[in-house]
Amino acid sequence: MSDAADTVSRIRGRLEGPNTYGNSRAFWVGFAVLVTALAAYPQMTDPYTVIQTARYFAVAFLALSLCFIWGYAGVLSFGQVAFFGVAAYTFGAIGINLSSATGVTVAIVGAVAVGTLAAALLGYFMFYGGVRDTYVTIMTLVVALVLNTFMAQTAGSEWAIGEAQLGGFNGMTGIPNLTLGIGETGIVFERAGLYYALLVSLVVAYLGLRVLLNSSFGMTMVAIREDEARTETFGYDVPFVKLVVFTIGGAIAAVGGVFYASWGNYVDPSVFGIAFAALPVVWVSVGGRESLLGAIGATLAIEQMRTALSSGIGPIGSEWALVIVGGLLLSVILFMPAGVVPTLDSLVDSVQDRRSDQGQSTQPTEEAVE
Amino acid sequence: MSTQDINVKQQPAVAATGGDTDTLLATEQLTKKFGGLTAVDSVDFSITEGEIRCLIGPNGAGKSTLLELITGQLSPTEGNIYFDGTDLTGLDTHARIDTGLSVKFQSPHVYENLSVTENLRVPLQRTDRDTQRVLAETLDRIALSGEADTQASELSHGEKQRLEIGMAITLDPKLMLLDEPVAGMSIDETDDVAKLIRSLHDDGMTFLVVEHDMEFVRRISERVTVLDQGSILRQGPIEDIESDDEVRRIYLGEDA
Amino acid sequence: MIEATLFAIVVYDIAALFFQFLNSFGFIILATVGLAIIFGMMGVINLAHGEFILIGVYGTALAYHAGIPLPAAMAVGVVVTTVFGVVIERTIVRHFYDRLLDSMVATWGLALVISQLLLIVFGSSLDSIGTPLGSVSYGPFSSSIYRSVLLPAIAILVLAGLYVLFTRTEFGIKARATIEDPETARAMGIDTDRMYVATFAIGSALAGLTGALYAPALGSITPNRGGTFLVEAFVAVVVGGPSVIIGTLSASGVLSLFNAGGSFFFGTFTGQMLLLLVAIVALRVLPDGITGYVDDWRQRRREG
Repeated sequence: MSDAADTVSRIRGRLEGPNTYGNSRAFWVGFAVLVTALAAYPQMTDPYTVIQTARYFAVAFLALSLCFIWGYAGVLSFGQVAFFGVAAYTFGAIGINLSSATGVTVAIVGAVAVGTLAAALLGYFMFYGGVRDTYVTIMTLVVALVLNTFMAQTAGSEWAIGEAQLGGFNGMTGIPNLTLGIGETGIVFERAGLYYALLVSLVVAYLGLRVLLNSSFGMTMVAIREDEARTETFGYDVPFVKLVVFTIGGAIAAVGGVFYASWGNYVDPSVFGIAFAALPVVWVSVGGRESLLGAIGATLAIEQMRTALSSGIGPIGSEWALVIVGGLLLSVILFMPAGVVPTLDSLVDSVQDRRSDQGQSTQPTEEAVE
Repeated sequence: MSTQDINVKQQPAVAATGGDTDTLLATEQLTKKFGGLTAVDSVDFSITEGEIRCLIGPNGAGKSTLLELITGQLSPTEGNIYFDGTDLTGLDTHARIDTGLSVKFQSPHVYENLSVTENLRVPLQRTDRDTQRVLAETLDRIALSGEADTQASELSHGEKQRLEIGMAITLDPKLMLLDEPVAGMSIDETDDVAKLIRSLHDDGMTFLVVEHDMEFVRRISERVTVLDQGSILRQGPIEDIESDDEVRRIYLGEDA
Repeated sequence: MIEATLFAIVVYDIAALFFQFLNSFGFIILATVGLAIIFGMMGVINLAHGEFILIGVYGTALAYHAGIPLPAAMAVGVVVTTVFGVVIERTIVRHFYDRLLDSMVATWGLALVISQLLLIVFGSSLDSIGTPLGSVSYGPFSSSIYRSVLLPAIAILVLAGLYVLFTRTEFGIKARATIEDPETARAMGIDTDRMYVATFAIGSALAGLTGALYAPALGSITPNRGGTFLVEAFVAVVVGGPSVIIGTLSASGVLSLFNAGGSFFFGTFTGQMLLLLVAIVALRVLPDGITGYVDDWRQRRREG
């Protein structure tokens, strides 16, 4: 019994710390309830909603990836979609050519590897070249635009990788479903299956990042975000740390890209476009750049809203979706620069402080919000 | 003239071979030019293990530049820097810190949004020292034990300066570089820092301190180097320096 | 005989390349200059710059279609954009002068809102305006006089005007003092707040002017054209660095050389790719980020 309690507290010790929100028992209970509810969701709703929600989960990897590098290391990338899109195209290209179960499994690994490598190369190019701050932001966006321009003109039949046509503006079609297996036998993840695969992966990514952020590496990231020059004078190899962070961010985005390509069996150059590139920035700004779960939550909420608006609500037509998204971004950054979750958290903290002051209580306040 | 330190010119070559264990840091013909301006001009300078050396000089004498050349934030136009038998020239800042240097800048550069303990952890987690013991010891040393969980932005100026010294010493450096550690401090705060430096010195730490406050210099230092227009004007025991006419004219007179 | 024909072809090619260069040169300067002023003087990257230009385009086009003669319609476009810029500066941008990354995020949000609102209010396109002045034909080529001669000439005039404004007038000296050291400028009695508004207004007016000038040269006028201007401007500012006039001029020269050369020999796609790739390489070779630049400058000042 006490062994089990020990294990729980050891696990919590790894997951909790000053760098993440949600370090209380109440939080973990809430988290468990939330995950259980999401697991039960496909049983309670129609297949269409399940498929839509799976798409939100896939793009939520982009939010996690940006939250990790921007919120914790201060590296604002407008181009996380580049690694997402590169992985999506790579998954398509390998998957179409090797259509067996093994082939698609190889495609998953290959696509994540290529997306990660792309991030590592760009990161090396930038951070070891002394590119910093706003220039990193510009460079990442320019890279996405280069890919957008390039992919949009690959319509000709000469633009093919084996069987896979890049397809130019119309995109690459016939991308296989997500499959894990050997030879011709394997598990195919589609519809609810894909939903569950995504849910599990997202929870694993979230918990994994929490462990990382609360380790000494996370502390180093925060130190670099707060004061890069000072951190270097404590002996930290700042360019190297940023490269590692950026590469991990790229890997997470790449995982999302693989899911995204298999979700729609399709990918087109708009994944590299300026409108799609803006979305991760919106999700993370709104949810809170220092809150992983906030970023995921904002992704789900905003994408849900965009879907709802796509067929119009009353007098508000689908064309208002982007106005609302842009307006939301503007107002959050103006009035709530930390984002929704951190703002709520400090509100709850101050309410609790006042209450414990009144009750003369010295009990430590527990944050229950994430 | 009797105060000129004749030995200085010969030591770098010795340090380069790693033969002389007493010399901890040595520069050899160190020069830094910014455009047409020569901020540091062919400086041959050395520090012996276990001393507290103060570097003084009027504004623009090149003191901060010299410090930044040692830490590697600036790279020299010419010349070399040797530390503890290693040629630092060309190494990145972080690699230099790993050889046993530690630095505290002029204005406090603490992590404002982190707690005092977290601030100390950032440098400390790089070493393999016993975290809990060193934390407690350092907090005690910089007299911030009561503020362990306070966010650094809420500290007073003097407390921030002490915290930053604390952060620098968690690395357990062989040589500690301090740039005006008591700038803007009250008399009591200055006193605390002087005591802190002396007690660290008693434990064997070597110091290079850039300072304006002659009263403070007198309290901590045995040997002083005077920099003027990028070159070493004089160096020697504090009493000799203070009585030197040339030094009084260019520096002490204006700094009164 | 054959030699003479070959010679003519070579001359035509060179002329075409030259006109293409001028076309691109004028476009990049005009697209950039408003963004460069705001970035160089205030450090803010206005990601809604393309949409500011678009407002100039729409203002001009709507006025023109309402029956106002083109030059007057262009003036309307400039005025509308300037007023809009001042409103945006007062309500949004001024909150971000010490939060540069946030200013990019905020102006990005603004860009989404503007282009989408233009779509909602004015539909998917406005009627195009015919390009004035016709074109000159030579051999197999023809070049628009308006785009390849007049606009580059105006672009150079604009830069010259800015040079005079910022170096020879009292306003320019005050503005530069504000940018260098706002504290000292305030101590000297300069209303720094007004300097920021004025600088932003000039940047916006230049965006409006660019929109007005290109309204009759764009072909179709659609709400997504802002991106075209932004990307070129973005790239030129990055390549040129924080020095507004020299930076814009040199960057526009280099970039249009690559863009025109690439487009002429290998097609528009290659021209566009070359432009972006040059930007990436330039960023890597001249990584003088804002911080690096400011640090360097402070360092010199402390030592000097």
